[in-house]
Amino acid sequence: MKHHTVLRIVTKLIIPLILLFGLYIQFHGDYSAGGGFQAGVIIASGFILYNIIFGLEVGFSILSINMTKNLMAIGVLLYIAVGFMGIIQGLNFLEYNSLLSSSKEGQLLGIFLVELGVGLTVSNVMILIFYSFNNMGEKL
Amino acid sequence: MTIALLYILLSVLIVISIYVIISRNLFSVIISTTIFSMVCALIFLLLDAIDVSLTEAAVGAGISTILFLSTIRYVDIIATDTKKSAVPIVILFFLLLISISILIYDLPEPGKANVVNNSQATKYYINNSTTEMGVPNVVTSVLAGYRGFDTLGEVIVIFIAGISVLGILRNTKGRT
Repeated sequence: MKHHTVLRIVTKLIIPLILLFGLYIQFHGDYSAGGGFQAGVIIASGFILYNIIFGLEVGFSILSINMTKNLMAIGVLLYIAVGFMGIIQGLNFLEYNSLLSSSKEGQLLGIFLVELGVGLTVSNVMILIFYSFNNMGEKL
Repeated sequence: MTIALLYILLSVLIVISIYVIISRNLFSVIISTTIFSMVCALIFLLLDAIDVSLTEAAVGAGISTILFLSTIRYVDIIATDTKKSAVPIVILFFLLLISISILIYDLPEPGKANVVNNSQATKYYINNSTTEMGVPNVVTSVLAGYRGFDTLGEVIVIFIAGISVLGILRNTKGRT
């Protein structure tokens, strides 16, 4: 879509807003609607819009397929690691009470890290599915 | 007012799904499923399920439309080989619609206090979320805190879905 000037300019203007909205949904999920899943999908849709307008080659130079594979595994591993922190400190799996000195702060940190893991996994899985649908049989 | 709007939106959903059944143009079918998802998101918003509404708008109307449009490049846009009429499918659709509408009357009314689902656990979460978790949004504290193990399962399901798509699509042209 190299010749669609209006689309390119509008995309450049709107992508920072989409990513910012995604980050807001991610990190403000404790206080308002949203959470890791919704934020992951919104951030992924921002990336996919960029890929549609500017081409997959430019998209690959920002976030390659190998990078998305690694990041989606890191998201799941982050979630499980937070769960095992509870076991190491003598509590149940996925119990965040003793992550920090006070129990409430520990809960907040645990929920924050868990949502971050969910967001990483969801956004990268969505981008990876988009890549594989649009790049059949090449470079995967 | 809300109830009237709800009935209008639900009848719009029925009209869109009939159009999806009888239409032969796959492109307009995809666009109408997008509209279907947006109307669904509006209905969820009217029922105060903001998180579900956000998810439906982002996944149903955003990502899945893009994936459908990506796959439509590999097939014909207008289904020409099917000369069969859509009448049996429409009759089946109405039979399903009537039977599901009858079954819906067995469901409990949403938000009623004396339903079993709303009796104990919900009350506990609403009363103790702020003091125990420090998180004002009860949905987040239930998803990531009280029911963290379920969410772990969900994330692993999404991870496996990504791996499966990769495994299915990487061998389409004989390369590894």
